[in-house]
Amino acid sequence: MALTQLNQLEQQRLVWRARQVAGPDQRRQSSFYPALDQHLQGGWPQAGLVELACGAIGIGELRLLLPLLAQAESRLQVWINPPAELNGQALAQQGINLSQTLLVRCQNPQHALWSAEQSLTSGCCSHLLLWGPNLTSTQAKRLQVAAKDNQVLMFWLHNQSAPSASALPISARLALTPQATGLNLQIYKSQGQWPQHPCHINMHALWPSLTAQPQPVANNITMLPAQAR
Amino acid sequence: MQWLYLYLPSLQLDSLLHQQACDEACILVHQNQVVQANSQARQLGIALGTGLAAAALLCAQLKVIAYDYKYEQRLLTQLAQRLYQTSATLYLDPPQGLLLQTSDMLKLYAGITEYWQRIQQPLIERGLHYHYASAHSPLAAQVLACAGNDRLLNNIQQANALLTKLPIQRAGLAPKLTQQLERLGLNTLGQAQALPRSALGQRLGQELVTYLQQLEHIQAPAKANYLPPQRFRQGLELLYEIELSTALRFPLRRLLDDLEAFLAPRQLQAAGLNLRLDYRELPAEKVFIGCSGGEYRAQVWLNLAMLRLEQLQLQAPIVAIRLSTRGQHAWAPLSDQLFEPQGGKLTADQLINRLQNKLGSHAVQQVFLRDDHRPERSFYQGHPKIHTAAPNATACLRPSLLLTIPQALHHKPNHQWCVLSGPERIQSGWWDNVSICRDYFIARNPLGQVCWLFRTPAEEWFLHGYFA
Repeated sequence: MALTQLNQLEQQRLVWRARQVAGPDQRRQSSFYPALDQHLQGGWPQAGLVELACGAIGIGELRLLLPLLAQAESRLQVWINPPAELNGQALAQQGINLSQTLLVRCQNPQHALWSAEQSLTSGCCSHLLLWGPNLTSTQAKRLQVAAKDNQVLMFWLHNQSAPSASALPISARLALTPQATGLNLQIYKSQGQWPQHPCHINMHALWPSLTAQPQPVANNITMLPAQAR
Repeated sequence: MQWLYLYLPSLQLDSLLHQQACDEACILVHQNQVVQANSQARQLGIALGTGLAAAALLCAQLKVIAYDYKYEQRLLTQLAQRLYQTSATLYLDPPQGLLLQTSDMLKLYAGITEYWQRIQQPLIERGLHYHYASAHSPLAAQVLACAGNDRLLNNIQQANALLTKLPIQRAGLAPKLTQQLERLGLNTLGQAQALPRSALGQRLGQELVTYLQQLEHIQAPAKANYLPPQRFRQGLELLYEIELSTALRFPLRRLLDDLEAFLAPRQLQAAGLNLRLDYRELPAEKVFIGCSGGEYRAQVWLNLAMLRLEQLQLQAPIVAIRLSTRGQHAWAPLSDQLFEPQGGKLTADQLINRLQNKLGSHAVQQVFLRDDHRPERSFYQGHPKIHTAAPNATACLRPSLLLTIPQALHHKPNHQWCVLSGPERIQSGWWDNVSICRDYFIARNPLGQVCWLFRTPAEEWFLHGYFA
């Protein structure tokens, strides 16, 4: 009885076995944010699909990724359906190589997924950013496998405030919430790792004029008397 | 000098039947007379020159196609284009003949047998019926080939021996002249050659004398030899109408193979192809297939073309397709990524081509910088060019996402907004009538979005972008 329940849970991908993830590819690439690197045990996965639930556009989701993208090697970076025009000046300022950046826009969500898969399997793409609505489990699996096979790190960004409810077979799932000093990250899933506490990303060092200086945690907490009489 | 003449008696019919497998009796009809017939039709007793009504009586399921002189000329030119790879000096002899000068080419090939094998190759590939003969003069080769000799003659004596025995009906003279000669009792060409020329000229006219002189005249004919075209342009008439765009794959493959055969020896590649689909009744559809890096291989073009054609809804059945190149340039050096660790299946250019052909060229773009202070004009989107050097970006802080049209804010930002920086005044563009005067602020709204706002002199507030 217990075994069938376990099987069911496994089929719903709510349980993972430690031996499934102890694969050879545990390599990580640094996100250039020390706090995030620490929480994700080394940074973003080397390859795979990462879901970022942003809640709203413009809260700092690209600022989270720009340092990573600026350090990328000389392969293409494909941006599919960004929610507004990409400002070349801002990207170039951050060190993004515009001649390696490809912008794809298509109305049809199926075409967007097709372009993503073509870019992943082409082998000439190092990072891929896809803005779009929900992925089904099958679609996510296809993209994840294509990304893993071709050593591409793909980010899927959407405007819901929490990752989709179903357990998608992808590398990592994060939710972003804005803070005056940067971003708060809730890591819902990171393949091969134990659940994490929410972490805070301080962006003041990289973006001093956009974020506030984090206040040092005041050491002036007074303990209430245990029993007020 | 040595000349080789190729006579293709059923050029149009053979080409049509070779494209599309057809095992019915087929004839080509011109002015109500059968001019070309396939073997099935011949077996039924349909001979050349039979009237259309008589032919229809012999076979009820006869497939009748109209003879098209212009189309046959195009086929002849295509064949010449192919043979030009083997033989440098050749002359078109419309409607169904090709004259090749062999003596110069024999120095290049080991002997006439080898040379002839190379010449035969394209004829066999295209499934053409042909007759040939080589002789010392262009006309002698032509007469012998049209008479169906099919022999390669090395010396002048052999050719003359054959010519003297040639029946006068097969000498290729005008019918009236042939009849006159027959009435004189001259049944072979040799008998006519033996008579004094002046007497022949007086009785039968200058035409025969000129003909006999030409038989011995070994010099090149007095017309321009064939020169291959600079651009590829080729068409294909379909024997059956095509109603599904995916079914175009097979005829298109043939055209693309010819394209590859055209481009590869010239070390050229095409940047794009114009494909014209002729509908039965409606005006033709024009399709452009692009390939930014340029390509010459048929397989690659076929994949790109099929992506494009899958998108296409055919308005009516297609009766012919035509292909021409748009922009031909020399081969670029091969991939410079010899030591690339991940051996990708595609190069960046190929990926761009693939995406553009499915989504349209406007859907796949790249961002380029421009020197302008106005934010919306400081960059533009254009056709992707990999490996271009970018100009320097501005030093001012700019949002990564910019709205195409600034969005008007209904209320002035209130105390819930937190102004992070500003104002930065941008006043520019007085020279091209798109003058702007804006004070830009960076502010965080209650949702936590870091926005780029501006205020106009009229105190109107707009949202222009996000520091995403």
